Amino acid sequence: MKRSLRTLAAFGVIAALIAGTSGCAQEAKKITIAFVMGAESDPFFQAMKIGAEEEAAAQGVDLIWQGDPTNYNVATQVPIVDNVIAQKPDGLVLIPTDPNGLQASLDKAVAAGIAVANVDTRVSDLSQAVTFITGDNTDGGTKAAEAIAAKIGYTDGEKYQVVVGLTSATATTNVARLEGFKAAVAANYPGIEIVDVAYSESNPQTAASNVDNWLTKYPNLDGIFAIDGTNASGAAAALQAKNLVGKVALVGYDAYPANVELIKSGVFTALIAQDPAAEARLAIKTLVEFIKNGTKPGTRDVVIPNVVLDANTSAEDLAKYTYVATN
Amino acid sequence: MTDSKQALSVNERLRALVGNQTSLLSLVFIVLAIVFSVTSGGKFMSVGVASTVLTDWGAFILLAVGQTLVVISGGIDLSVGATVSLSTVTAGWVMVNGLGLDSSIKGTDAWGPIALAGLVAVLTGLAVGALNAVLINYFKIVPFIATLSTFGAAAGFAIIISGGMPLQGPQDFSLINPIRIPGIDPKVFDTGLFSPMVILMALIATVVGLFLHKSKFGLYTYAIGSNAFAARAAGINVKRHISKIYLVSGALSGLAGFYAYIRLGGGSPTSGTGMELYAIAATVIGGASLMGGVGRMWGTALGTLILFTVQSGLLMSGIAPNWKQIVVAILIAAAVAVQTLQSKNGVR
Repeated sequence: MKRSLRTLAAFGVIAALIAGTSGCAQEAKKITIAFVMGAESDPFFQAMKIGAEEEAAAQGVDLIWQGDPTNYNVATQVPIVDNVIAQKPDGLVLIPTDPNGLQASLDKAVAAGIAVANVDTRVSDLSQAVTFITGDNTDGGTKAAEAIAAKIGYTDGEKYQVVVGLTSATATTNVARLEGFKAAVAANYPGIEIVDVAYSESNPQTAASNVDNWLTKYPNLDGIFAIDGTNASGAAAALQAKNLVGKVALVGYDAYPANVELIKSGVFTALIAQDPAAEARLAIKTLVEFIKNGTKPGTRDVVIPNVVLDANTSAEDLAKYTYVATN
Repeated sequence: MTDSKQALSVNERLRALVGNQTSLLSLVFIVLAIVFSVTSGGKFMSVGVASTVLTDWGAFILLAVGQTLVVISGGIDLSVGATVSLSTVTAGWVMVNGLGLDSSIKGTDAWGPIALAGLVAVLTGLAVGALNAVLINYFKIVPFIATLSTFGAAAGFAIIISGGMPLQGPQDFSLINPIRIPGIDPKVFDTGLFSPMVILMALIATVVGLFLHKSKFGLYTYAIGSNAFAARAAGINVKRHISKIYLVSGALSGLAGFYAYIRLGGGSPTSGTGMELYAIAATVIGGASLMGGVGRMWGTALGTLILFTVQSGLLMSGIAPNWKQIVVAILIAAAVAVQTLQSKNGVR
């Protein structure tokens, strides 16, 4: 299976090569931007792909979209980047799966005269890169705290109990979001106590089980921060099964279509969404400007804040931020 | 009889107790329940926690039951967790993309589509089981590698089919909610222990257990696991029997995928992530030997119960969740140590 996927990926590379060369034959000066992301199957990167395709069309440049089909893995990403460099694109947007493991690939691309941007994650030494654009997970945690406080009608002097569902103790996005959440609670909502955290081990059934147990342990539980899509799905199911929708504030992460639907029915107080499409658009725009005019952006590092989706978000914005499955 | 019993020394009686896996596991379960009641300040001993433990038990029991058959026959099935993910996602896909149904269909209106989702999930599980059987019997790949490759394939397809996101279909959460006896106020006395789905899973597990212990199917399974060569010499069609066992394991995984669909209200591509390890752990804690030929369904049922008692007990006690892995590891090591002790004593 993995092998067949790789073969498929290899065919993709060849197809892109053929498409690239035929494009060159027609129009000699058309700019080509290569985009190498982490794992095609991840909804986050699918949303990013949509943004990248839109911006490439708007800028009138060719886009080569590449990445491992399912594994977010440095071992499979390095050969993909090598293949892409061999196609001599004008620009490369790279989402390094490892800060050190992809450093050599980035240096190699720059040596070949390719303008490079990092998106979402970065290599250790960014001095050769044109720009680095990322989402702000710490800020997302802060916004989650604000959303829970608003839902429970936080007033000073009152006591509130809140729990946080994580995937593991080490997932970097989880850690950043939890830090932001804790800092915001400590600074602005001293009456909120984070009474417990638990891990889902990447399984929404375990996430649901954790919420079931919390509801027994804390009969007056006020809020749940479900820190990623897995925990959001599990917590939403658990609250619906126990008929506690609206009675416990639930703030989740990631704009899965199924979960965005649940904002309307009140299961989610709010969903914090990243904006991978915006990251991709800005990266391509910045690279094209640099390739055309040689102008680097004023600041190399750009942080795009997370957005809050709730009952007051317009239908337009909900549609804009909802992840779309493209396969 | 009474004479010989009286003649047993305390030491021998202790050994006899240890030799009986069911009574030993019951003892472990009771000790854990008492320990967690103390560490949680009494909160563990509640109907709420018991129903959560049973809900988790229901999610895993059929995987553990299937694994027990496979392990007794001398094999191993690593693909079961990924099969849960794949079967729940195909069920969700048929609902959402195949039939255009969504989560607005709730309650009894959802029962028809849900039954179809169950059928799709079981067929998907059977397909993975069939693939395992073909790889093992006709391509002569050892079960560990054969099921490792179907594990990877099934997990990958689950993500590809779903686009990495849950597919919410027709749902009825009352099927996963504990049934309460009407007329009794749950605030006074909570009668909500078993959900309809947990009862269904327990019934299926019982049927498979009876097949293992009371039928020719079970006898053949033990015979092949003890000595495949002798079983063949005795006229058992070993290939066909092994195929049946992996098909059953696949179908049971598909049913566990159906359970995940009910519990989460749709197909989630990571619903089975990591479940194969807990299924194997439950089987080993239950007394089955990875060498084959040894194991009891009662042991597996208790082993699964112990695993989720630990999970809930740690959370209720506020002990860091990382300890779960360590406690499970100790239980596995202890179970294998007991097995060695038993075989030395010649007790089964």
